[in-house]
Amino acid sequence: MTTTQVPEIELDHVSMRYQTDKSEVLALEEVTVDIRKGEFVSLLGPSGCGKTTLLRIMADLIQPTNGEIKIAGGTAKEARLAQKYGIVFQSPVLYDWRKIKKNITLPLEMMGIGKEEREKRVDSLLELVGLTDFKEKYPWQLSGGMQQRVAIARALAIEPEILLMDEPFSALDEFSRERLNEELLSIWSKVSNTVVFVTHSISEAIFLSDRVFVLSPHPGRLSAVVEIPLPRPRTKEMRNRKEFYELISEIRDSFEGV
Amino acid sequence: MLMNRVAPVIVWAVSILIVWQCLSWVFLEVLELPLAQSKLPYLHELARTFPDYADVLLAEGAVTFSNAALGFLFGTIAGVFLAIMMSISKWVEQLTFPYAVASQMIPILGLAPIVYGIVHDDQISRILIAAYITFFPVALNMLRGLRSADPSAVELMYSYAAKPWVIYWKLRLPAALPGLFSGLKIAAPLAVTGAILVELMGATEGIGVIMLRNLYYGPSHNYMFWLTVITGAFLGIVSYLLITLFERILTPWQPEFRKTGGED
Ligand SMILES: Nc1ncnc2c1ncn2[C@@H]1O[C@H](COP(=O)(O)OP(=O)(O)OP(=O)(O)O)[C@@H](O)[C@H]1O
Ligand SMILES: [Mg+2]
Repeated sequence: MTTTQVPEIELDHVSMRYQTDKSEVLALEEVTVDIRKGEFVSLLGPSGCGKTTLLRIMADLIQPTNGEIKIAGGTAKEARLAQKYGIVFQSPVLYDWRKIKKNITLPLEMMGIGKEEREKRVDSLLELVGLTDFKEKYPWQLSGGMQQRVAIARALAIEPEILLMDEPFSALDEFSRERLNEELLSIWSKVSNTVVFVTHSISEAIFLSDRVFVLSPHPGRLSAVVEIPLPRPRTKEMRNRKEFYELISEIRDSFEGV
Repeated sequence: MLMNRVAPVIVWAVSILIVWQCLSWVFLEVLELPLAQSKLPYLHELARTFPDYADVLLAEGAVTFSNAALGFLFGTIAGVFLAIMMSISKWVEQLTFPYAVASQMIPILGLAPIVYGIVHDDQISRILIAAYITFFPVALNMLRGLRSADPSAVELMYSYAAKPWVIYWKLRLPAALPGLFSGLKIAAPLAVTGAILVELMGATEGIGVIMLRNLYYGPSHNYMFWLTVITGAFLGIVSYLLITLFERILTPWQPEFRKTGGED
């Protein structure tokens, strides 16, 4: 890695203050992070600590009240207009009137990719998230977890340069979750995009990430950055290693140090 | 399953007919009201008059219906267009909405002769009135529908750097369809009623025209009068059912059309 490389995502003293009629919430205070191109990072923290807010700032969906954000040296808006983002929201956000396959191909349509190519890609994406049989169904015919998997397939469809995922697997059972963790890593190793992954689960954060950003609440601050030195590719058995457990307790401690 | 849905309708229809027939008998034979058959005629008398009169009803009904449909179409286009403009620009909404509301305060009964006085053509004024009636409920419900799109769904479009018109085409318009259809379902029977109203005030053809003529000829045309009234109501129902049919075809994802469990 060259030292002159521009960070893919760069937040400089970013603060976010939500103004409501009566009260004011300081959701983020002075968050400064650099995320390298091709890096996989997790945002970990308790509910309400500003993870979604941080992700939405990175995606140019909201503007921070203070501080600056740069994507690959440019503005977040430029990155958005260049269609660099794939986003998995905390809820599936599927379009009711589109069948599953059409929901997945939506971003491909938006990028002007032809019908034939779309059809081709949708099959492998459906297979990836295990929903091949549900291709022609409407979203309401699927369970919550299945809908979330559709949302994941949709975000992966364009192989985005920056993949922002807000608790994508929290609606899933432990087995699907671990399987999709591995699938996500294998896709990431092929596409080598930059991933920012929000989660509540310490072990999930460790298994997936190069670095884990621990956030603390009220106001949301970056309280620790934990390097995960586990080698790549990550395998199931690594979850049982001593190092893995040590990392878990290290992150736990960083929570308590707050 | 079909039985479950159809049976109540049949039971209702049959009971209404029976009550009708009984009341008619009571008016005529028990209370001995003057002109009892004008108040509520025997159904079998209506049925006997119907075959001879069916041709006329069909011809005049078709005139009324096609004019109402044309007006309904124009009203829908205008309503949808205004709703889209209002949803794009708050400025347009503030400018036009008060007038749209105020326009609805003018009674149709007063408006119809004014419109006729201006255009001097019963066909055009019928179409205009039907369009006028259709316009408001369509615009209002369409606007609500356009605004009903889930904010996260809009953000998703935003994250794809979608152009505003693409957001409309792929998100806001489909999300607005259920709202549009509830507006259309309110407007369709009203458009028919509006067209008939214009005919009552002077036209050459249509259900309203023969309704008035039968009324004018008095008791001898009583059964024919009742048949025209029933035909008018029937046209309203047909217009409603047609919209419902389109709704089912165009918006099959709506909660009320979702099949639950094993029924089919
Ligand atoms: N649109 C908003 N208006 C006002 N306050 C908001 C808004 N969105 C979030 N907040 C506040 O900002 C804080 C952080 O919210 P955020 O959604 O970022 O938390 P989170 O870490 O994603 O939580 P969770 O894990 O439960 O999803 C919360 O206290 C919340 O009340
Ligand atoms: Mg959140």
